[in-house]
Amino acid sequence: MATTRTTTAKLTDLLDAKFMARLDSLDLLSRKILQGKLQGERRSKRRGQSVEFADHRPYVVGDDLRFVDWNIYGRLDQLFLKLFLEEQDLTVHLLVDASASMGVGEPAKGLFAKRLAAALGYISLANNNRLTISLFADGVRAQLPHMRGRNYLPHMAEMLLTTECDGLSDFEKACRDVTASRIGSGVTVVVSDFLFKQGYESSLRRLIGAKYDLYVIQVLSPQEISPELAGDLKLLDVEDGDAAEITVGPALIKYYKRNLAAWCDELRTFCTNRGAVHVQANSADSVESLVLNYLRQIQLLR
Amino acid sequence: MEFLTPLAGLYAAAAAVPLLLLLYFLKLRRQEVLVSSTLLWKRAVRDLQVNAPFQRLRRNLLLLLQLLALAAVLAALAQPVLALRRGPGQRYVLLIDRSASMNATDVKPTRLDAAKKQAKAFIESMRTGSTLSWRDQSDHAMVIAFDQRANVVCSFTSDKRQLASRIDAIEAGDGTSRLGEAVTVARAFAQSSGVESAAGTNGKPAQLVLFSDGRIGDLDGIIVGDDEVVFHRIGESQDNVGVTAMNARRSYEQPQEVEVFASLANFGAEPVTRDVQLSIGGNVHAVRSVTIPGCEAQTADEPFRPGEATLHFSLTHSGAGVLEVRQLGSDLLACDDAARSVLDSPRRLSILLVTQGNPVLESALRACPIERLDPCTPVGFDAVDPSVFAARQQYDVVVLDNHVPAHLPRCSYLVFGAPPGGIDVNSPQELENQLIVDWRSQHPVLQYVNMTNLFAAKSRRLVLPRDAEVLAEFNESPALALLKRHGSTYLIAGFDILQSNWPFEPSFVLFCYNALSFLGAQAGDGRRHGLAVGEPIAIEDIPEHAILTVTCPDGTEVQVTPDPSGAVRFPGTYRVGVYAARMPESPPQFFAVNLLEPQESRIEPRDKIEFAGVAVAAQEQGVQRANVPLWPLLVLAALVFVCVEWLVYNLRIRI
Repeated sequence: MATTRTTTAKLTDLLDAKFMARLDSLDLLSRKILQGKLQGERRSKRRGQSVEFADHRPYVVGDDLRFVDWNIYGRLDQLFLKLFLEEQDLTVHLLVDASASMGVGEPAKGLFAKRLAAALGYISLANNNRLTISLFADGVRAQLPHMRGRNYLPHMAEMLLTTECDGLSDFEKACRDVTASRIGSGVTVVVSDFLFKQGYESSLRRLIGAKYDLYVIQVLSPQEISPELAGDLKLLDVEDGDAAEITVGPALIKYYKRNLAAWCDELRTFCTNRGAVHVQANSADSVESLVLNYLRQIQLLR
Repeated sequence: MEFLTPLAGLYAAAAAVPLLLLLYFLKLRRQEVLVSSTLLWKRAVRDLQVNAPFQRLRRNLLLLLQLLALAAVLAALAQPVLALRRGPGQRYVLLIDRSASMNATDVKPTRLDAAKKQAKAFIESMRTGSTLSWRDQSDHAMVIAFDQRANVVCSFTSDKRQLASRIDAIEAGDGTSRLGEAVTVARAFAQSSGVESAAGTNGKPAQLVLFSDGRIGDLDGIIVGDDEVVFHRIGESQDNVGVTAMNARRSYEQPQEVEVFASLANFGAEPVTRDVQLSIGGNVHAVRSVTIPGCEAQTADEPFRPGEATLHFSLTHSGAGVLEVRQLGSDLLACDDAARSVLDSPRRLSILLVTQGNPVLESALRACPIERLDPCTPVGFDAVDPSVFAARQQYDVVVLDNHVPAHLPRCSYLVFGAPPGGIDVNSPQELENQLIVDWRSQHPVLQYVNMTNLFAAKSRRLVLPRDAEVLAEFNESPALALLKRHGSTYLIAGFDILQSNWPFEPSFVLFCYNALSFLGAQAGDGRRHGLAVGEPIAIEDIPEHAILTVTCPDGTEVQVTPDPSGAVRFPGTYRVGVYAARMPESPPQFFAVNLLEPQESRIEPRDKIEFAGVAVAAQEQGVQRANVPLWPLLVLAALVFVCVEWLVYNLRIRI
């Protein structure tokens, strides 16, 4: 119990108690009602054993005789099966970018992403969903697979807090690893800045599948959204050390913002066309308002 | 390895290296900022460049600039030349004055250097017929340096490098300017049909290009064509004070008394006061201040006359030595500031009297201040080997009393009676009762001699050659004559003194005194030691196998081997100063070489030189370049192109 207390104390580094209390009332929602692995607290599209009646259908040879509606047989002398809405658990995959680029910004994008992941993870664990959190940079760096129940909250908090933002980002490899280990169906949430030089399209295509809802949360720092640079500068890429010599002028800032908007639009369009949801967040904003307001609006949370 | 134009390289390096460093530091100025990704920035930069005006042009601009720089360097390697002159090849003779006045420093560093520089510029402006040129006519030039003699420095060629190096090798001299020989030599070379000169002459006479200050002595005697000579005037100023005359001699009676006369001339317009120093062997003896008036301006009928002042020093000096009179002020020409004279140690005469016995003559000679008098019989004199006699130099004067010797060794002779044979003097007959009718009382031999009452009972009729100097005349024949033959001096009295009343006259003793001092001075070395510039040092009777070492004023030593007859002529007296000739086991002989030439001391450059009938004005401008080498401009252009290219490249990154 003592260890639990210390680790929950760590969780409060990410999420304060009041916020956690408000998160208790929330649950993750899949837009598609998806089939879960276990019987859970969720409606699944699959008709099955549950208390909630859904429909009848004619009996065909081979159906389970236990589900024959004998009352209707008695009344109509025809065999009908009673179909129930089966309640199943939801698999939640959180992919959090922990590459060096996330460490840049004031406030840092990495912290914002981890707090967001903590909030979503808290909600998942509190609602008994199957939760997998993967921190990726050059491939998956740390992963807590298949957690269920509040008992895992300290583990989740520990992993999020102990993993530093470092290294190159290889989104493609991370996605390959994640999709290989992904089982069942549910919701995948990717939190990153999506400033991948090698592109994100093929990687996201891997994540979008029939069984998973994909939420793409793009976190940008205020310095990236509206840079306040001036003079002759040599910009160094924090990940690969690539240098760009610039002389900042209004024209350059204008073209930068235009490019950023185009980049984000491209991502949004890519996601929308494939049924995924794109959310853009500013690391200066509060995680609370994002979770409590915006994510509810887009019906990731309920 | 050698650099042909090291200065140009240094200038280029001085310009290019700091520029490069400056550009390098400009590049280093950027501040480094960490960003999460340069992805969007690079896209923004690219977008900006894509949308910037003339983008396509600018991308090509780099290539264009690089091509231009390369083209400039390649063109510079080909050494293009802009030819400003047209027409067929010409031939030029460059006459460079290297006389004393060209050492003046009114043009830095000296006039001669300025002349050489102009001459090289002229050479540079000549056209070369290269293999790629469409004209096969190239200019040829030869170079003659002249003072009183002409020296062909380089004969006709079109090789500019050879011409320039030969011009560089011209050394300054202290001689006087004489153009005649140079012009003669130039014409001789120009008319000879050598292989080189045959090319491209077109029958035109060679152009004489004269680099001088115009102070040339013999212009009147040179006939030139109308456009044959082009005169480039070198020099600007006329201010100069020079020693124009100097003479030092011992008194005959008191040989330790030395009289020094010097004359100084001021060629500037303003009067000057100068200290004049007399030194003996380097030790200062006296310094005297003298004011010299300015020169009188030249008018149409008045010739130019410099302001002059004369100085007279008298001192007592019994030893030998070199006297130097030097004006201590600084002026433009250094070589005429001093004049030197070699002073022999005082010496009394040794006399050989060849006589059958003449007590009158002997006692008269003994009355003179002489070292010794050796009587000798005619037989004894004839027995002496003449070459041994000349070599020993025992006697300064030989007195022949009525004796015609068999041979005449080199010496000074005082002859009474029949003249010796072999000196072009004949005495065909005897005359009687001769009276003196005229004599030259101004001549040193007859100074203070009153010959009014001289009567000769018997005398010889003297038939003299034309160059003989008649000092006194009887009514039918010359009585006294002075003649120089074969290096000997003869003072001939055509009568026996015992056949005349001269021994009873006071004038006889005075005559003997004067004659001995005159002949002794003729025999002495005093004359040989004072030389003009370019006059050879002549020393005779050098022992066999001895090697003479001549030390020049600048300290260089020259070894001279005498010819088989034992004589040496050293012609290298091109600079003023004291030359010392040394032989083993004998004291050094000094020779003073002096300028003492007012024409050279007058350094005022002439605007116009007048040849016989033709006046040639100095060129208004300096030497004009006919060929402008373009490679420095091209290299500069290449440098500029590279810099601009670098800048454009840098700007592309910066935008």
